[in-house]
Amino acid sequence: MKYRNKLFSVKNPYDVSGTEQLFARAAAENCYFHYTNCKEYRRILKGLGFDPGEIITFDKNTAESIPFIPTTLFKRHKMFSMPRCRMPIKATSSGTSGGNISEIGFDAGSLLCGLKMVLKVGSKRGLFSPVPCNYILMGYKPHRGNRTAVTKTATGATLFTPCLSKTYILKYRDGKYVPDFEGVISAIKRCSRSCFPGRFMGFPAYTYFLLKMMEDRGIRVKMPKGSKILLGGGWKQFYSEKADKKTVYRLSEKILGIGEENIIEFFGAVEHPILYCDCEKHHFHIPAYSRVIIRDPVTLEPLKKGEIGLVNLITPMVKATPVLSVMTDDLGVIRDNCGCGIKSPYLEIIGRVAPDSIKTCAAGAEEIMKKIQL
Amino acid sequence: MIIAGGKVFDSKMQDRILSVMERKINMTLSGNALDPQKVISAIDRLGRDIGKGKYDSLIYALPVDEPGRYKLLASQMLTRENLELKLKTELPSPPEAIGGVNGRIMPLGVIFHIAAGNMDGLPAFSIAEGLLTGNINILKLPQADNGLSVEIINRILDYEPSLADYIYVFDTPSSDINAMRKMADMADGIAVWGGDEAVRAVRQLAPVSAKLIEWGHKLGFVYISRTYAEGIMQDELEALAKHIVSTKQLLCSSCQVIYMDTENDIDLHRFCRRFLPVLNKAVSANAPVSIGGKAHKALLERTDLLEGFIRGKKEPGRYKGNGCSLIVCRDSELELSPMMCNVLVKKLPRRDIVSVLRRKKGYLQTAGILCGEEEYGTLSEIFARCGVTRITKPGDMSGYFSGEAHDGEYPLTRYVRVVNEII
Repeated sequence: MKYRNKLFSVKNPYDVSGTEQLFARAAAENCYFHYTNCKEYRRILKGLGFDPGEIITFDKNTAESIPFIPTTLFKRHKMFSMPRCRMPIKATSSGTSGGNISEIGFDAGSLLCGLKMVLKVGSKRGLFSPVPCNYILMGYKPHRGNRTAVTKTATGATLFTPCLSKTYILKYRDGKYVPDFEGVISAIKRCSRSCFPGRFMGFPAYTYFLLKMMEDRGIRVKMPKGSKILLGGGWKQFYSEKADKKTVYRLSEKILGIGEENIIEFFGAVEHPILYCDCEKHHFHIPAYSRVIIRDPVTLEPLKKGEIGLVNLITPMVKATPVLSVMTDDLGVIRDNCGCGIKSPYLEIIGRVAPDSIKTCAAGAEEIMKKIQL
Repeated sequence: MIIAGGKVFDSKMQDRILSVMERKINMTLSGNALDPQKVISAIDRLGRDIGKGKYDSLIYALPVDEPGRYKLLASQMLTRENLELKLKTELPSPPEAIGGVNGRIMPLGVIFHIAAGNMDGLPAFSIAEGLLTGNINILKLPQADNGLSVEIINRILDYEPSLADYIYVFDTPSSDINAMRKMADMADGIAVWGGDEAVRAVRQLAPVSAKLIEWGHKLGFVYISRTYAEGIMQDELEALAKHIVSTKQLLCSSCQVIYMDTENDIDLHRFCRRFLPVLNKAVSANAPVSIGGKAHKALLERTDLLEGFIRGKKEPGRYKGNGCSLIVCRDSELELSPMMCNVLVKKLPRRDIVSVLRRKKGYLQTAGILCGEEEYGTLSEIFARCGVTRITKPGDMSGYFSGEAHDGEYPLTRYVRVVNEII
């Protein structure tokens, strides 16, 4: 995996144009690895008549030519390219109750790449600091039974700075997670009196509810200087909460005294574990470790910049599971010229395919719908 | 958002409203009874306005394939004649006083409606049934509500402001157990619409004193008799295909399994070969037009294609069409199909009907029968005895018929009680 390691070692995390050839080589290398080691992946590629051994040109078009797999397929089939004992982490998508969720394994090498990526992308946005912080985490408090990636990223984010305290909004009680707004509000009051900054981290929806609740009760605090709100979640939150974003900005200024410039959003998905962090204009630029191809919703052929279609995400980061090229169920568009100084194009998610909720009254269908709703 | 006393409040008022609600309800109960004619007039007016196109913008914004059909159905259902027929069919007429005992039909009192978001406008429909029977109604909106129900309820309140004391609407999330329990405690009956999970949750929540009115999720199927299989008319197959495609098998009444009265797999395969082109044609006539719909279809097809490669050999029992499939199964269980035009085809010899269907008692709803006239009586009798509550032609499985019961019961009888006066 020498090309992968090189790719994740590039200096500028947004140097997309300068890494085209390197990315293509890393992708080809990753494709060949999965082809050799994952039975299901090999069957898919053979079925499509694609042989990674035949990739000989390494340029912009290489990634595009590698077969893409819809994320649903990872929910239906577990696919691994190495024995499970060699995967230090197995993460699942944050499916709600039961249902089918995808399980993606991560090898030690990919975690190392992930770490380099987080360090580079994060420092562009000033996420790291030697100043200790109090953390308010809008996610699950980890316990043995919870392997969702969100838990891991939320807890992992507490490593960005030395951590003084951690308060989780979702507590595990009587076998399920319940939001504990009261506990969090008193923690916020406590943190606001600290001489160290506070960091809020997690699902945008909970952050929004929390701020609304504090507003309703007339609670206002002034968080210490340097406090930040980090909003993150799956791709789904990317747009479904869009309407609320402006409100979150407004409320956080009013309730917590944290200005818009200190609200940082990032997104990732287990099927494409690349950290997408927003720029100062709140646009999600494509990092050097990732490529995005927008595909025609009918023919699935690549579209031109500016055209809306299905979002195909590519990264050679993971060896344990063939998530090299995945097709999400999101509709999006790639745009250029953000104006923030970052040269790489940015991805804007427009919406999800099909109506957001399929309504059913057939017995047992609700559970099944969760599986087939992509 | 909350509606109480005909006024709209912010959700944050919930606790305050709940704390005074019992007193308000008691005041309403100590006043005059609700005149069903007022309810009928308001709903009839709503139906006429829908027919005139006053609500087209709302209806055509629904994420459904045939909003026009919804509009037509709504304007047909919400007529004075239909409502009066409903009252007449569903409510027992008060019996003559026998031996000094007379009976009066009275509303239960307070009904707490917990409506799942599985049908647009369903919460409003549930409230309308509660109002027709003279009850005070507390509605918990489904989380996925798209605003249609609230709009309907507001219109009804505009048409008939005197209904204000009979309607309370809350957008409380199901996770707010405290508030849910408070509402349940005020209720004489709890009407719940939803799947097993929702029904189970309500059973846990409900006070022992409240009557549970459960409208759970059900299953539908088609049965083709042995002698009829060869001679099925093309138009009957077309009607079945249209039913499958138009409901996408998502409804209680949708066909999940096509049963054939046979012991032989060959018959199933023969049927599939004949039916697949018909189903294919119906699917392509109903192809999605929105970009999201097209993309959804393309993704599912891609997933299926790749899954086929993983599985290796072609599955022998799967007849794959374009956006649909027929799946020949070895067993006879009545079960949910993969839906979205993927139909299970199974053997069910007549002698096994009872034992197979009884295993799904409580879930049985619609049976679409294809058989000769001479067999119809026997077959429908068997299905009825098993627990099936609707027997139709396959093309009509999800049709609405004025005067029909709901899952084997006349809903209004569940929202009332009989008061005896012994003179």
